[in-house]
Amino acid sequence: MNFVTLDGRSGAYRLTVAILALLTLGGFAGFIISYLAGHQVFGASNAVPWGMPIVMAIYLIGLSAGLHILAFLIYVMHQDRYREVIRAAVFMAIVLIFGAMLFIALDLGRPEKFWRLFMLFYLNNMSSMFAINAIFYTAYFISATIYLVSLLNNMKRFSLVMGMVAFGWAMLTHGGTGAIFGFIAAREPWYSPLSPFEFIFAALTSSLALLIVALVIIYKSTGRLLRQELIVSLGGLVKALLLGMLLLMVIGELTHLYAPSRDAVVYTLTGPSSWLFWIFLVGLGAVVPLVILFHPRAKKSLSGLVIASVLIVIGIFVKRFYLVIPGAAYPLQYYPGKIEGVWGALGTYRFAPVEIALAVGMVAFLACLFILGLKYLELLPAKQPGEDAVTETPAIKQTTGELNSGAEGR
Amino acid sequence: MVRWGMVIDLDKCTGCQSCSVACKAENNVPHGSPEEHQRRMTPFWHKVIAVSRGQYPAVSIDLIPMPCMHCDDAPCVTVCPARATYRREDGIVVQDFRRCIGCKYCIIACPYGVRSFNYKEQEEKEYHRPDLPPERADRGVWPFPRRVHGVVEKCTFCFHRIDAAVRQGKKVGEEVVPACAEACPARAIFFGDLDDPESGVSRSLASRQSFRLREEMGTSPKVFYLPR
Amino acid sequence: MNIPTSPNGSPNHGTRRSGVSRRTFLKFSGLAGVALIAGRFFRRHTLGAVMSPPDSPEGEGVITEKWVATSCLNCATRCATKVRVVNGRAVKVEGNPLSQVSEGENCARAHIGLQVLYDGERIAGPLKRTNPVKGRGIDPGWVRISWEQALEDVSGRLKALREAGRPHQLLILHGLNSVSDEDLLHRLAESYGTPNLISGEGLGNEADKAGEWLADGHYSQSAYDLGRTNYILSFGASILESYKPLARGLRMWGKIRRERPDRAKIVVIDPRLSVTALRADQWLPINPGTDAALAMAIANVIISEGLYDAGFVARWTVGFEEYRQLALNSYQPEWVAGITGIAAGTIRQIATEFALTRPAIAWRGRGATSWPGGAYASYAIFCLNALVGSIDIPGGVTYQEDARLRVMPAILEDDVTRQGKGQPRLDLRKTVLFPAAEVVTNQVADSILEGKPYPVEIALGFNTDFNMSAPGSHRWDETLAKLPYYVHAAPFASEMAVYADILLPVSTFMESWAYDYSPPGSGFAEVRIKQPAVTPLHDTKSVADMVFELARRLGGAVGQSFADIGDSAEGFIRYRTGPLAPWENLLDEGVWVGPDYEYFKYDSIFHTPSKKFEFRSGNLDAVLRQTGQTIEPLSCLPHYEPSRFLGDDKNYPLILSSYQPLMDVENGSQNYPWAQEMLLVVHGVAWNNLAEMNSHTAAALNIKDGDMVWVESPFGKFKVSARVFEGIHPGLVSIARGQGHYAYGKWAKRIGVNPQEITGVDYDRLSGQAAFFNTRVKVYRA
Ligand SMILES: Nc1nc2c(c(=O)[nH]1)N[C@H]1C(S)=C(S)[C@@H](COP(=O)(O)OP(=O)(O)OC[C@H]3O[C@@H](n4cnc5c(=O)[nH]c(N)nc54)[C@H](O)[C@@H]3O)O[C@H]1N2
Ligand SMILES: Nc1nc2c(c(=O)[nH]1)N[C@H]1C(S)=C(S)[C@@H](COP(=O)(O)OP(=O)(O)OC[C@H]3O[C@@H](n4cnc5c(=O)[nH]c(N)nc54)[C@H](O)[C@@H]3O)O[C@H]1N2
Ligand code: SF4
Ligand code: SF4
Ligand code: SF4
Ligand code: SF4
Ligand code: SF4
Ligand SMILES: [Mo]
Repeated sequence: MNFVTLDGRSGAYRLTVAILALLTLGGFAGFIISYLAGHQVFGASNAVPWGMPIVMAIYLIGLSAGLHILAFLIYVMHQDRYREVIRAAVFMAIVLIFGAMLFIALDLGRPEKFWRLFMLFYLNNMSSMFAINAIFYTAYFISATIYLVSLLNNMKRFSLVMGMVAFGWAMLTHGGTGAIFGFIAAREPWYSPLSPFEFIFAALTSSLALLIVALVIIYKSTGRLLRQELIVSLGGLVKALLLGMLLLMVIGELTHLYAPSRDAVVYTLTGPSSWLFWIFLVGLGAVVPLVILFHPRAKKSLSGLVIASVLIVIGIFVKRFYLVIPGAAYPLQYYPGKIEGVWGALGTYRFAPVEIALAVGMVAFLACLFILGLKYLELLPAKQPGEDAVTETPAIKQTTGELNSGAEGR
Repeated sequence: MVRWGMVIDLDKCTGCQSCSVACKAENNVPHGSPEEHQRRMTPFWHKVIAVSRGQYPAVSIDLIPMPCMHCDDAPCVTVCPARATYRREDGIVVQDFRRCIGCKYCIIACPYGVRSFNYKEQEEKEYHRPDLPPERADRGVWPFPRRVHGVVEKCTFCFHRIDAAVRQGKKVGEEVVPACAEACPARAIFFGDLDDPESGVSRSLASRQSFRLREEMGTSPKVFYLPR
Repeated sequence: MNIPTSPNGSPNHGTRRSGVSRRTFLKFSGLAGVALIAGRFFRRHTLGAVMSPPDSPEGEGVITEKWVATSCLNCATRCATKVRVVNGRAVKVEGNPLSQVSEGENCARAHIGLQVLYDGERIAGPLKRTNPVKGRGIDPGWVRISWEQALEDVSGRLKALREAGRPHQLLILHGLNSVSDEDLLHRLAESYGTPNLISGEGLGNEADKAGEWLADGHYSQSAYDLGRTNYILSFGASILESYKPLARGLRMWGKIRRERPDRAKIVVIDPRLSVTALRADQWLPINPGTDAALAMAIANVIISEGLYDAGFVARWTVGFEEYRQLALNSYQPEWVAGITGIAAGTIRQIATEFALTRPAIAWRGRGATSWPGGAYASYAIFCLNALVGSIDIPGGVTYQEDARLRVMPAILEDDVTRQGKGQPRLDLRKTVLFPAAEVVTNQVADSILEGKPYPVEIALGFNTDFNMSAPGSHRWDETLAKLPYYVHAAPFASEMAVYADILLPVSTFMESWAYDYSPPGSGFAEVRIKQPAVTPLHDTKSVADMVFELARRLGGAVGQSFADIGDSAEGFIRYRTGPLAPWENLLDEGVWVGPDYEYFKYDSIFHTPSKKFEFRSGNLDAVLRQTGQTIEPLSCLPHYEPSRFLGDDKNYPLILSSYQPLMDVENGSQNYPWAQEMLLVVHGVAWNNLAEMNSHTAAALNIKDGDMVWVESPFGKFKVSARVFEGIHPGLVSIARGQGHYAYGKWAKRIGVNPQEITGVDYDRLSGQAAFFNTRVKVYRA
């Protein structure tokens, strides 16, 4: 199979880059403001210490890590039909983990000291999940980059090894991120040994869903032929992963509810912002996609799959948001009884313009990196003759053989 | 080995908050504004919380002074990636502005909510007193001579006082105590070596029942309370 | 930034000692050591470059440091303090251990003194008004003038008024000032010849004081031997939040709880679960304004059970028989339970405990006495002490001794002085209206508005804020606007200052010279010094220096009266404290403590016609006769007068109450962030005050915690945040004092409400004490 770069000279491409660059600039301005004026310009507080940047960070890590399931499928499960998208997916994963790390750095009160996170074993405290994750993130970033390089250079055997290494680090990375939350005994709704696994499942689900959406957009906008069969099989995977994630979630919540110190969890499930949980996460993020993915016809229609995927991507974003913000908002019970006033009040969070600008800018920056990558790296499969005209195949065809002849075939 | 600890006698305590203000004055802790207070962005190294139970007229309210608990097994130390929070050999859990990267993980992990992030540069020149705390020599390079935003702060057990006293051979717990203990008009706060059975804190703990906050968290706080 | 040096490097270098101790450091060798050093340099470099702006004062360190012994003036307790001054800047306040009244302790507001001193919104120099129109919200159009101009202006007016033979038309108002300043103001009024020196005391504890006067002839708050008492029965005395001397109350609380083998029991009677009540052993939410009935019922139980101190009563009291009859016949616990809402069984219980757990103290505060009939309530409560023999005994009521300051020469009087002082007073004290009053602060506003008995020409106000603090505060706005010439002296541009023609900036207490002592408390005498801890920040003068300057300019009898008493604030303090101790010692120590207290002075302490403790007041009898009033059977006996309320209970079903939370800084301004951010500890609420009401009351009115509500009385209404609370009597709405400012500065303005704006004007008739707690209100959702 041949891979090519994107032409990238069309007006639309340039316009996109320009808009993204502009948004990026806005984000940068937001960062500078937050750096000079302090985090007062963000929405977080001592009661809800983490805000949007951390939500974005863990969300992006998830999106990124999950993408490596493709390598797993290709090399371990021998699902070779995914090969044509592997380069773009790995590149996307790199961009996303880079973005996640950037988000974390920008959420630091003293971002210029970010290097301290990487002074492993020397100036670091290696019992901190944060420090441990610094290893995970770095190693993952490096391994994914090497993997991409090996793919770009068609180093077949090495790609296989690196694919597996990157997949391993990806899982550790996301499990580790889950541990950042799951290991904190002080926060009831977070404290759970399932947390790393839930994070991994969520990561896989959301990133596959994102991949579906991204593929559809890229293929359509570049006039490529999208094999529906590919998307449908990805949809099947998403369904399985989503079910897995839901199972872990339910077990997690039940464990929390069973324990007598359940106030904070009850709050997250029934409190004033629990509609986010029920509507966006459970309803739109899980039930509706499942209905679609189980529906005999919808699960095979492109639009059905795209809708389900978009809902999942949003649902898991809300899941992350819900974890970080309302999950921290319930007041700590320092002493039995009703703690009066501000010390016993629910933490508040407000969407701060600077923080939103920062988040949007960062996402734009990442998108920009991604489409620039498409232009300068050979990431997309070469077009088949006549593809320019047709954008969607009318029915599922057996195309496995064709795929096997790809440039990366073993 | 000394192990500094604090005992707060809730039967003597009058809920007057001298401890909280004295701490602000001693450690030059910035004040907030109405909005910042509402949003829980004001730094407090010490606070007095009110906890109520029951209904009129059988209502009871406890006022609990809360410094950092200086947990022997401190979650904030465990989670701090930059070793900006660490436990000294004498048991004081220190927060070093210079090392802190401002990740706020410790705020998340502390079960007692005693940590504050510094959300802004203090513009009020009249209250920002860079010449404080004056015993800079005792604090070494700590804390940042000039307070910066973007780092986490918390009670230090006034270790600048303790260290100076130890060096000068003064009796900690009698001649020298943390600022909050010194300011307490009811003399409800005791400070001293928990490992020394003869110290004031040890003796007051032996004399009465005591409890610590959230013992179930397994943090082994070194701040003890004597109930009424 | 500095170079890494050994841990024992010179202190002024800001020695670098990171978490790595020297020993650990030495343990490293070779590469590791190099890496470590490199790391430290790297770290310093990175951080230093980014974080220390070029103007960083780092390395400045402590160049000069001193401790100055002085005292606090954030409430009338006036505690001794030590101020740490580093590089010329006051940085910390601590208690002065030499002070015995509070055993060297302070309350939380001592620290707030720093923010009083460094308040960025103090008046920087004398100001003169250019806008002749006066009123709330009207810009006075201040222009800066020199002290010379200001004092010339004021003294010129004063001189002219005096030369016109109308010195009584000068009104001097003063709130909380240093005792030495009050002494000087007194002398100024005396020598100038005005009878109208009006203190804020008429808002404070006059009924409380009158109660003791009725019994033993001391027109004063009571002193209690707290450290030795075994039982405290507090009637509306907020011992841990306000009652003065506050720091003493806080200190002794700790002492009697756990520093003695036997722990004292404390019972608090207050319709609100105050900090005192919640820390006490028992809280009795009483129906507002019925404390006198409760006190009489306690007397009923003690007498009928024969638990009183028969020896003391027989030997040192008169009028017991009438009192006994009254208590036994009219105050059966069952009947009083209906009035006070406190069960008869509970009344019996506390009465028995009070009588048997001696020494015991019955303690009265403004809550019980700032009512119509408050003097009788105070009398009734005070008498309980005599019943159990707690008079001048260890652990009982004591009699405050005064310090023997040097006696000033008599003032010089000329004809003008005598003529002026012979005039009736604006506050109508000691008239039929207020027969036993020493000062009726709030009456002055009405007298001026009515122009009776004569108009005021000039008014000087020192450290007051009556248009915030007096009930019916708007009347003071009108009064001030009406004054032809008003001079206000204070450090801050308060609500009252806005009406001034001349605004004289006063140095704060950390910049001034003064002597001070506490209100009655310890028994023994104690004097504190105020000396400047820092050089005055602005172009200000102390009240004392101002008075001396004015006297000099006025010359004549006034000038001569101020001639030989020190000539300046510092000189005056030195002059007056001369007999106490050598000046250097006094400055060094800041405190002079008198001889130990002597108990059992029964043959000299009762200033009554009978020279005994009087259950039937001979003092009052005499005063009533003097003012030509008929004496009813109850007139001279402690008794309960059914509470009188302003507003009918149909339209205004609730009672408006207020209290002084500890962080309410009594010098009016509240422009102090530290005080604001810890204001209401019981509610965990800061930067605000609240309409506190019972959950049942709130439920009936469909009000939820945090709702904005209107509180409306017959005299006005305001919007305030509701606090639904279990710790309050269902008939009450309670609002903390200290907020509702519309002047001062950014930390005080437009925060919360001022209950006085909707409080009606009423008095305790005997003492002229303003009633604070008897206005009715209704509350509804906004
Ligand atoms: N923090 C602070 N302390 C101060 C001052 C200050 O401004 N701030 N000011 C000083 C001055 S000038 C004074 S005069 C003293 C005053 O000190 P206190 O005499 O203690 O008076 P308040 O602080 O007004 O407290 C009144 C209490 O009475 C209660 N109360 C109301 N109505 C009734 C009733 O009918 N019966 C009973 N039993 N209780 C009732 C209220 O709930 C409140 O708790 O405080 C001094 N100390
Ligand atoms: N709702 C309610 N109202 C009350 C009370 C209550 O309990 N509840 N309490 C009442 C009582 S007990 C009293 S005594 C009165 C008190 O009422 P006031 O005597 O009017 O006293 P403050 O309101 O404290 O105002 C003091 C003034 O002194 C000025 N000042 C501050 N520091 C200094 C200084 O160092 N030197 C000079 N010269 N001036 C200074 C301030 O600017 C302020 O204007 O309030 C009464 N009002
Ligand atoms: S109380 Fe919180 S900040 Fe203090 S040592 Fe324990 S965990 Fe750390
Ligand atoms: S905020 Fe600072 S002290 Fe807290 S965990 Fe992060 S680096 Fe450590
Ligand atoms: S020990 Fe020192 S730092 Fe800690 S609360 Fe007390 S005064 Fe503040
Ligand atoms: S200073 Fe002492 S009495 Fe006051 S609140 Fe603190 S511990 Fe309690
Ligand atoms: S009791 Fe009054 S005088 Fe004493 S420290 Fe407190 S505010 Fe100052
Ligand atoms: Mo008062």
